[in-house]
Amino acid sequence: MAESTHDWAKHKKSYLAVFIALCVFTCITLALGLVPWLDFGPPGPTPADFVVGLAIAGVKSSLVALIFMHLNHEKGLVYKMLVFTFLFFLSLMALTLFAGADPIREQYDTYETTNGKLTEEL
Amino acid sequence: MSAATAETNDQAHEEHHHVEPFWKKYIFSTDHKTIGLQYGFTALVFLAFGFFLMMVMRWSIAYPDRAVPMLADWPWFQAWLDDGGKVTGDLYNMFGAMHGTIMVFLGIVPLAFGAFGNYVTPLQIGAPDMAFPRLNMASYWLYLLGGVLMFVSFFLPSGAAKAGWTNYSPLATTTDIHYGDLFWTGQTQWLVAMALLITSSLLGAVNFICTIINLRCRGMSWMRLPFFVWAMLVTGFLLLLAFPPLEVAAIMQLMDRLAGTSFFVPTGLNVSGMAFDAAGGGSPLLYQHLFWFLAHPEVYVLILPAIAIVAEIIPCNTRKPLWGYKTMVYAVMVLGFLAFIVWAHHMYITGMGPAISTFFQTTTVLISVPSVILITSLLISMWGGSIRFNVPMLFATAFIPMFGIGGLTGLPLAFSLPDLHLHDTYYVIAHFHYVVAPGTIFGLFAGIYHWYPKITGRMMGTRLGHLHFWPSLIFMNGIFAPMFFQGMAGFHRRAFDGGKAYEQISTQIFAEPNTFIANACEMLNVIEPDAAVRMIDLNIVTSGSAWLLAVFQVPFIINLFISKFIGKKVNSDNPWDATTLEWATPTPPPHGNFLTEPVAYRGPYEYSVPGEARDFSPQFEDDPSTIPSEDKKDKESEESSV
Amino acid sequence: MEIPHEVTPRRDTGLYNAKLGIWLFLASEVMLFGGLFSAYVFLRVGIQDGVDNPWPWGLNVHKDFVWLGFINTLVLIASSVGVVFAWVALKERNWKLYQRYMYAVVGCAVVFMCLKGIEYNSKLNHHFGIKLKDNSVMEGALVNNTDRIRFEGTSASVSLQGAVPVFIKSIPKGEFPTFKVVEGPGSEEGVELHSDSELKAWFHKERRAISGKLTEERKRYRSELASGVANPTPVSVSSSAKLTSSEPFVLNANPRKVVLHSDSVVNFKDGSKVEGKLISDDVEFIVHEVDLQLVLPQKQRESMVWNVINDDGAKQQFFEQQDTEYRHLREYYEPRGEVIPEKMLRGHILNLHDVHLGGHHGDDHGDDHHDAVHKSEPKPSAEGAEEAGHEREEALHGDHGHGGEHSIKVPREDIKFMGNHGPRYGNYYAIYFTMTALHGLHVIGGALVLLFFTVFGKKLYLKNPEHLANRVEVGGLFWHFVDLIWIFLFPIMYLL
Repeated sequence: MAESTHDWAKHKKSYLAVFIALCVFTCITLALGLVPWLDFGPPGPTPADFVVGLAIAGVKSSLVALIFMHLNHEKGLVYKMLVFTFLFFLSLMALTLFAGADPIREQYDTYETTNGKLTEEL
Repeated sequence: MSAATAETNDQAHEEHHHVEPFWKKYIFSTDHKTIGLQYGFTALVFLAFGFFLMMVMRWSIAYPDRAVPMLADWPWFQAWLDDGGKVTGDLYNMFGAMHGTIMVFLGIVPLAFGAFGNYVTPLQIGAPDMAFPRLNMASYWLYLLGGVLMFVSFFLPSGAAKAGWTNYSPLATTTDIHYGDLFWTGQTQWLVAMALLITSSLLGAVNFICTIINLRCRGMSWMRLPFFVWAMLVTGFLLLLAFPPLEVAAIMQLMDRLAGTSFFVPTGLNVSGMAFDAAGGGSPLLYQHLFWFLAHPEVYVLILPAIAIVAEIIPCNTRKPLWGYKTMVYAVMVLGFLAFIVWAHHMYITGMGPAISTFFQTTTVLISVPSVILITSLLISMWGGSIRFNVPMLFATAFIPMFGIGGLTGLPLAFSLPDLHLHDTYYVIAHFHYVVAPGTIFGLFAGIYHWYPKITGRMMGTRLGHLHFWPSLIFMNGIFAPMFFQGMAGFHRRAFDGGKAYEQISTQIFAEPNTFIANACEMLNVIEPDAAVRMIDLNIVTSGSAWLLAVFQVPFIINLFISKFIGKKVNSDNPWDATTLEWATPTPPPHGNFLTEPVAYRGPYEYSVPGEARDFSPQFEDDPSTIPSEDKKDKESEESSV
Repeated sequence: MEIPHEVTPRRDTGLYNAKLGIWLFLASEVMLFGGLFSAYVFLRVGIQDGVDNPWPWGLNVHKDFVWLGFINTLVLIASSVGVVFAWVALKERNWKLYQRYMYAVVGCAVVFMCLKGIEYNSKLNHHFGIKLKDNSVMEGALVNNTDRIRFEGTSASVSLQGAVPVFIKSIPKGEFPTFKVVEGPGSEEGVELHSDSELKAWFHKERRAISGKLTEERKRYRSELASGVANPTPVSVSSSAKLTSSEPFVLNANPRKVVLHSDSVVNFKDGSKVEGKLISDDVEFIVHEVDLQLVLPQKQRESMVWNVINDDGAKQQFFEQQDTEYRHLREYYEPRGEVIPEKMLRGHILNLHDVHLGGHHGDDHGDDHHDAVHKSEPKPSAEGAEEAGHEREEALHGDHGHGGEHSIKVPREDIKFMGNHGPRYGNYYAIYFTMTALHGLHVIGGALVLLFFTVFGKKLYLKNPEHLANRVEVGGLFWHFVDLIWIFLFPIMYLL
């Protein structure tokens, strides 16, 4: 990182731009939640809402990571580390979910035991 | 310890001319060597304590109908033994849970990673200290605090944790839930202590990785790192990335116990006939996933430092280079990577479906490949060497078959079908104890004998060393080999009466009729020729071996302490004629380690290089032809970083 | 001794130690929060419809708080920008500006934690829910700690093994009676205990005495066994004691610590027992909402909740509103040629905030509350929600006594589960509190570190400004990470 010769004004400008972008995205997130006609699919949270909401959050966080955390100036080492971390995080989440979604038998019995004759009535 | 560091600091004084107060030198020291020794001694104390717990359990297993000798009069045991002085189920559960916890989290990991890692790693990479010395001290103190909390929990009215070292919910959530003050119950303290230990390990891991990446001396490129350092790097990453999910699990279970949440409490849970007062909707499986996401990599945290220590000792004592150094490095990296995606093989019987269990079976079998590469490389390293069988080498040699048995007996457990039969039996106990007890602990003993001269300037006694090694080898096998047979016969690991339900199971496997052994037995009048051995009687073999093993640790303890004063003085800074950088320091190394800035001129294991006058060419010795140019060094490290 | 690369980056890695260290630490933080996010997804996906508590749709629980969350997001973003500007100021060697930015950052952290505090306080103290035995749920507010079992005790029996008896904690502060030991294993009968510390001291003393006696007895037993006595006298040490109080004392027993209670006795989970007279164990409750999401549609009309509320108007209003909601759902699904998912059919929440209830509340209210019920027509949902939002905001500000809010009495034996909207209330609340509290701890920790760099940084600045700049950069990296976590927490906790 060059010291005195650095053009800090340029940096400041980009930080401000990111700040504004983050605020705008936050407002969009809120609007998606609050305004009914911006809600995707049937009322209530649906997969589409999650995808959009998390996509916006992803964009915001990558802005923070790249600009504020100077990841765009970083050398390969940090990237490698983060990529592995992210892979392990994904494996934790995905494999746990797969394991939960792939039971050896269906869970009908829980209905019966907890809600009496629920299954019959359905 | 204090004497050792006193000498260290005497030398430091000569250079720096300032006096540090006592507490700063020995207690709140930031010197990686002092911290390493602190870790080491604390861990040895905890190992001894964990061993003691196990001996009490073994009494109950071998002689469930007899009072425990000697202990019945101890005040603490009054509350936990029954009227006749026999071990109760509660006591057995408590000791079982705490034996596992103490051995893994307070004994072996701190000894392997904390002690050896701290003492040896900076020396081997030519660094003056760890990257963050004060953080290093903080890790030790957090570890000690966690350890003390674990220990104190024995003296609470509820006793220590009783729900197994895995602390599965909802059992762990509901144990001792009737106590008024839930915070001061053993089960809760286990979680608090674990959170502290995890934090300590995380800080330690950050420190290690940072040290290894950033503090390597000039010329110490990635492929010149001793294998021990590589193992520490991978271990560091395992701890760094695998421990946080367990911390999450601990925090969530703490919430379940203290705040009444139901992260791991399913809907409609009944405890002793009453509906459990919680909202429900949680998942006990979630706990298991988070737990084993750590606990499987933890297995490699336990074994990698031992393999690495052995990998240092074998080339040194065979006077041959480590066979397949690069292969081993890549193997250990692959191992580290795969370690993160095999965890659910501990959970086959939780009702995982075929698809996901196939995935985990595949990865589990895959991970045996790098493990076998490591162990085979070590074995081949000995091929054709002129081996010096000194005490560290004895332990290192014994490590290989012991770890081999432990590893190979794990294969049936990798497949879900045999696992259904073997799960939670003594077979599993035998399997992983072969890996960590005669495996890791032998590796650690080897390391202690190997580096003792560097730490104190005196050698450990050879006779006492032999008296320690041979009985240990025999009795370790005496403990764990019978467990394989018991386990395959179905003995459940948590039966505190030693499996009375299995009393009728007997076998002729030890003396099948008309075989050589049977005939020999008949001739020697040992047992009746066709008599079957009752499986339950093997408990006595196991327990007896355990107590004898304890007896034969006494020579080691004596050796450890008296060698400091009466051991043979080393004749040089490099008594074993080794090649790595730690032998370039004065003995013992002063604060700041190296008198002149070290440079690594060559690879770590250049033994018996053709054309050289001696049979070893140390990394730190000048050889003008091989001084690396800076550019070349950069290129190499770019290629192989992380 | 000096450690290399403390300030200047290493050439081949391009990082100085602290920066490498913080990135490693952040990697472990990713796994820490990653574990929690995984738990969030696992718990939410794993809900079994009709069995487990449904995930409260963010906006339903958060109508009042979503703005707080929004403001908090902006505050954190602003503070993040503040840190980078402070760092730039330091790079430009402008100490004054650096300090100003840093104080602004810490100020943002304080604002963030205050807003968080408001939110927590509201959830913990102003929202309460009761789940009845048939899984119908009432949301509202609790009247004066009436979830406690109010009891008038005269005597207590305790076991002198284990921990200090829990019942002492149920005696309100300052109302500790004088206990007299009437029955006990020791020679201590007749001792008077005037305060809870005296009682505890007595308890510990007795416990020691008993364990001593037990030791003796067991020694005898074992020696008899050893000397071959076939049937040695079994060990028996009495370990229970009975205390009576001079005057009846008030006991507000936490139901979570009680196993069983009747008109004359309260049995605590740890085995202690208080005898006396039950004052009341009814839960007094102000109903704001009725939630029948866990009740089958065909059973909703006969749900227990209507017996408890005992108000036909409210019931009628509930089902009218349900019809309206069904109509909305049909309007959404039918043009698309889809069937309404069963999950959607089940979930109904009646907002009773503007309804006067008082089935159990004597005759004087009787007439006007009935009128009010009939007057309040079901409104179109959006408008209704808005209005309810306003009113709940009022409730949020502690105005509980406004027009016609009357409590009803809920018999304890009908209750399956109850609690405030704390972490205990359900998995949404559990993960919400765990994650936001953990995040809050990170905010506090980060703010303290940044404050330290601001207040005590001058010395280092004069010595080596680049070193301080590095420290601020590293502190800033952590701070941005905290911000980054919140960016994800805001939508998943408040909106989705």
